[in-house]
Amino acid sequence: MEPDLTVLASLRKAVEAMPDDVPLRVHLATLLLRAGLRDEAIRHVGAVLQRDPGNAEALALLQQPPGRRAEATGPPDPVVPREAPPAAPPPGAAAPPGAPGPPGRAGSREGSAGREDRPDRPEAEFDWPQAENELRDVLPPMFVDGAGTDADSAAAEAVDSYDAERSTLKLADVAGMNQVKERLEAAFLAPMRNPELRKLYGKNLRGGLLLYGPPGCGKTFIARAVAGELGARFMAVSFADIIDMFVGQSERNIHELFEIARRNAPCVLFLDEVDAIGQKRSQLRNTPMRSAVNQLLLELDDVDSGNEGVFLLAATNHPWDVDSALRRPGRFDRTLLVLPPDGTAREAVFRYHLRERPVAGVNLNRLAKLTDGYSGADIAHICETASERALMDSIHRGEARMIGQPDLEAAIAEIKPSLGAWFDTARNVALFANEGGAYDDLAAYLKKRRLI
Amino acid sequence: MIELGPELARADAMLDIKRYDQACGLLSRLVAAQPESARAWCLLARAHLGAGRHQQAVEAASRAVTLDPSDEWPHRLASNALLHTDNYPEALRAGMEARRLAPGHWQAHICVAQAALGARRLDIATAAAAQARTLAPNEPDVHFLSGKVSLAAGDLERARSHQERALALDPAHSGAMNELGRIRLRRHDTRGAIRHFIRAARLSPAETVYSRNIDVVILRTVSRMIYVFTLAALLLIWIPVVAHLGRFPVAIGLTVLGAIAVASFAWLVLRLPPEARLLVRRTLRSRRAAAALAVAVGGVAVAFAAVALVPAAELPQILPVAVIATMGARLGAFAILRGAAGKR
Repeated sequence: MEPDLTVLASLRKAVEAMPDDVPLRVHLATLLLRAGLRDEAIRHVGAVLQRDPGNAEALALLQQPPGRRAEATGPPDPVVPREAPPAAPPPGAAAPPGAPGPPGRAGSREGSAGREDRPDRPEAEFDWPQAENELRDVLPPMFVDGAGTDADSAAAEAVDSYDAERSTLKLADVAGMNQVKERLEAAFLAPMRNPELRKLYGKNLRGGLLLYGPPGCGKTFIARAVAGELGARFMAVSFADIIDMFVGQSERNIHELFEIARRNAPCVLFLDEVDAIGQKRSQLRNTPMRSAVNQLLLELDDVDSGNEGVFLLAATNHPWDVDSALRRPGRFDRTLLVLPPDGTAREAVFRYHLRERPVAGVNLNRLAKLTDGYSGADIAHICETASERALMDSIHRGEARMIGQPDLEAAIAEIKPSLGAWFDTARNVALFANEGGAYDDLAAYLKKRRLI
Repeated sequence: MIELGPELARADAMLDIKRYDQACGLLSRLVAAQPESARAWCLLARAHLGAGRHQQAVEAASRAVTLDPSDEWPHRLASNALLHTDNYPEALRAGMEARRLAPGHWQAHICVAQAALGARRLDIATAAAAQARTLAPNEPDVHFLSGKVSLAAGDLERARSHQERALALDPAHSGAMNELGRIRLRRHDTRGAIRHFIRAARLSPAETVYSRNIDVVILRTVSRMIYVFTLAALLLIWIPVVAHLGRFPVAIGLTVLGAIAVASFAWLVLRLPPEARLLVRRTLRSRRAAAALAVAVGGVAVAFAAVALVPAAELPQILPVAVIATMGARLGAFAILRGAAGKR
């Protein structure tokens, strides 16, 4: 059965809204293949493999012959070069570990005309490792400032929501953002690390730390680094792991989550998107969600009473939607504003996202200057767009080329910072809802940037 | 095969906590797997509406209508979505169908009133709002919409009483507070309007429309001040011609006029709440407001200079130039500020 066009349109929109949702993309790619939209399907498969290089479903989709739909509906067009089945991940998609990312010199050997003459030539014959070796000798240095990619070792590890993992990240791995690090040290880490002094000054460890700020600016990364600093295990949980519409199930999930954290102490329990888990109860229609908030409050109080070694961190883009009960003393009573990355951090983000792409002559310092006000996620998008640009150019020219400074600058010109809507709301909150100075740091930042 | 019930409930929970994109992702998968579920399409329409993708919401709601035309909810969703795409006649038609299917649901009547308001069918809107009030006299949204209908009909007193009733039923109803601000504005009470918009913004700080309303009021006030200033200047430049006075009185006149304009604006601003004063400062620092002020003051200064500096014998020839410069300054400043208000 061919998929409905409305369904396809809805799925496209959903993928656009959530580009990192791998199962959703795989689903869309499957339906696109069924609808005979192979080119678009391959693009999505490429994006899936970029995020999850070993994704079996995506790899299986790639293996599907191009004429699959045609077999069901009629004979395929025999000479359509675009239909040539790529046996390797498509250009632009991240290659599996050990395999080269760039398209190599296939284009230069055959040219587009050559490929049209031989549409059925299996690309699997192309020797990717050899192409990589050939290119390695002729590649210019990636970054013109001469720095290597050692900092990239700070890459975040994949987390299973209910698995406590040992975080190897440290705050030193977080480039720039010195103000955040200093405040984190003073408000959270120093008291944790110095129990004697803590006792001397009568400082208790009640309560957790709420990280807030615009989306895509590294709150989760910082939370992992905090876990690393404390030598603690790290458990990240989002609302999707908890919500269950059967009455009592969400509460049970929350309880179980805290129990696991207690068993794994010392452990940093990180509640991502805490505004969803602990939304203002006045805004909730569903009773189960209200019960979940009550359970969360109960568990937080339990942590206070006798569970040493469970450190609570939470992150939200909308602290103003968090139930006020969650922000009372002893719960998430300390807040830390995580702002868009500063220049040093932006350089590091560029370096990270370009580390496995064929780049040459990139001036990171200039890129960082051009992207003031962009989030980390925006920068990732810029790198992605620059890659696409170089890829399309390579296809048109029939010759693979490196991603260069002009590609990145063109991508920056094309992509606007995505934080405008967040700052519009933040401005309102700082102006009209800054009760008790809860958002003084935000107001100071907005004033500094002349947004108020 | 996906078990639909729990998944739909999960999607409903996501909508409840405003995770529209995630809900959209889940629901897109569900409707792909089970395209015959009208409820799934309805929830998808809600998710798209929440995310501001109105055309997609229309499409999803239309699918739900096709699958279950006897249920009022898909029609109501379709009406709501169509309203956001400015397709008022169709929104009204869908709302009326919802009302026909569920005449006892106050939501269906509200839906009709809203669509009729958009379609400028005040008779239908008034009747639907009255019916909704009969069915749900303790529902704040019913009084809120009744107030909007009354405001559109120009009955400011009735509009005020409806909004106050809505606020009595739900003191945190920011929409009703905003409407009270609009009513004040219609009564030319700028300060009162700004106070209400600020209260609305305090109740729902995440809603940016209230602060935009304040911005627009400030821009309108600046525009009005410029209008009065240029009008007074237009009259003043006739004085040398009529009274045969020298340069000195003209210069004094300009200075006094400028001082009065600045003082009256400052007086207005100082009586505003501190949040509004911050917004005024920000507005005045914006390029457009600065440009408008520069055009107005510059144009008037040129006109005065022309009148003050030419010999008395040449005044009749120079006066039309001065008048044109003043009027040009007024129109230029107005166009710049209108552009700024339009952008907001």
